Amino acid sequence: MERKEIINQLNGIFADVLDLDEVNLTGATTADDIEEWDSLSHIQLIVAVEDAFDIKFSSLEIMKWANVGQMVDSIERLTSQA
Amino acid sequence: MVVNSINFWLFFAIVLIPYFLFFKRKEGQNLWLLAASYIFYGWADWKILPLLVAVTGVFYALGLAIERHNHSRPRLASQLTTVGVVLGIGILFYFKYFGFFVEEMSALFAAFGLPHCSRTLNIVMPIGISFFTFKLMGYVIEVHRESIRPTRDVVEFATFIAFFPTILSGPIDRASTFLPQLGQRRRFSESDFTEGLKRVLWGMFLKMCIADVISPWTDAVFGNYAHHNATTILVAAVLYLLQLYTDFCGFSEMAIGVAQVMGLRVAENFNRPFMAKNVAEYWRRWHISLTTWITDYVFMPLNVGLRHWGKWGLYVATLVNLVVIGIWHGANWTYFWFGVYHGLLLVATTALDKPRKRFEKRHRLKDNELYAWSRRLLTFTLFAFGSVLFRSASVHDFLGTLSRIPHGFGPLYSEEFSTIVVYALPSIAILFLREWSAEYRRNVHFLHARRTWVRLFSIALLICYILYCGQLEGQSFIYFQF
Repeated sequence: MERKEIINQLNGIFADVLDLDEVNLTGATTADDIEEWDSLSHIQLIVAVEDAFDIKFSSLEIMKWANVGQMVDSIERLTSQA
Repeated sequence: MVVNSINFWLFFAIVLIPYFLFFKRKEGQNLWLLAASYIFYGWADWKILPLLVAVTGVFYALGLAIERHNHSRPRLASQLTTVGVVLGIGILFYFKYFGFFVEEMSALFAAFGLPHCSRTLNIVMPIGISFFTFKLMGYVIEVHRESIRPTRDVVEFATFIAFFPTILSGPIDRASTFLPQLGQRRRFSESDFTEGLKRVLWGMFLKMCIADVISPWTDAVFGNYAHHNATTILVAAVLYLLQLYTDFCGFSEMAIGVAQVMGLRVAENFNRPFMAKNVAEYWRRWHISLTTWITDYVFMPLNVGLRHWGKWGLYVATLVNLVVIGIWHGANWTYFWFGVYHGLLLVATTALDKPRKRFEKRHRLKDNELYAWSRRLLTFTLFAFGSVLFRSASVHDFLGTLSRIPHGFGPLYSEEFSTIVVYALPSIAILFLREWSAEYRRNVHFLHARRTWVRLFSIALLICYILYCGQLEGQSFIYFQF
């Protein structure tokens, strides 16, 4: 799956979970950039992303993410393995 | 050696002058700081100094080993991190909880008529152990998560762990923010010097003009609760929360200020907790360096691990998080129940978050000041109630204290209360004025006034005020026992 395609899909998931009209993620986006993205919604986002891509992240890789780009790296790796 | 003592300032002057004057390289400054920190710690508890040095060496080596294997042998890196965490918790458990654990197990065995040991273990808890073990564990976890690269400079690492302004009672610093500062030479800065001293002065005001003035009265009430009525108990609960805040925030301000004088920024610990409008916000503003530590290393992994449980995963993680914060304070069931109490409050706050927001929207309460202050009052009351549990020597004492409330109101215990009215209440008013003005971004904090003469006059006035109204016989800090 292409990175651009993943980010597009993530925009939809984030908008849905965070209850926003539109989200424009980039690789550098972090929780500080979106007010509604708090520790509670963070977990909801992870579950929604896992369900949408039918993948399962390890706890350690979730802890390591510093921005959306690193989340996309994990999705890319896991979807290519499937 | 407490910060508000002559001994400390003599020691600090001896450290500070060569630190800026003779050491022109960061290596020299760090080595000097490390020697000072070990002398300072040895002064407080010389028997534990070898343990501090040894664990520092072990965690330094663990950091390097974890980084080496993070990619080539991730399993080994995880195991090494586990070794670090188990070692840190093991040291804490032995010194802080083992005696209590043995006593409780003996009592349990005795209750079932089983053979048991009735001897009490006298393990003396080293001062500051809860603070430096958390720094050590946080370091290896961060290296494992690749949030930081381990330092190769052992002196730098040891200075980070033993840094004397914070080793006894925090704030619990993070390697990610502190180590880079040790990686460069600190130059004397007039603004850091004056701002640091202002924070020390404010910390002294909190400690000496509020906490130490209130403490004889609250000690008398809680130490003899059976003789007091509801009025006295409720006033004591409110005053004790104020005492706890000003004691610990006072210490933190002094530690942060002393570090700033040396050109080093340490973590903030408080952010006007009494301005919080709910329990969750209060915990984000109270003992921040501990709560963020436990959130990052206990709550988040648990929350992530339990993510498929939905809301219940969050609730379980929240409850565990607060129980850990509770028992971090010591081996006593009161701290455990303190954690459970706050965990349940926090779960309720999270569960009611959406209905509350809907209610506020429907009634247009977002900018309503009366509503905001009612919420602040409710939050304060909930914490004041919890502080009684925190203050009680045992659960039995806590229940005994509560049992006085139905006996009815009556005259307030007046012994020495006039001291509080005359000396502490004006100081509390100054504290609230400052917190309120900072919360509403109105600068009426004269220590930071634009005009130099107002600033200097305010500083002089505050010094005179401390000398006149403060409790000058330096008392120990509540958080030293943790």
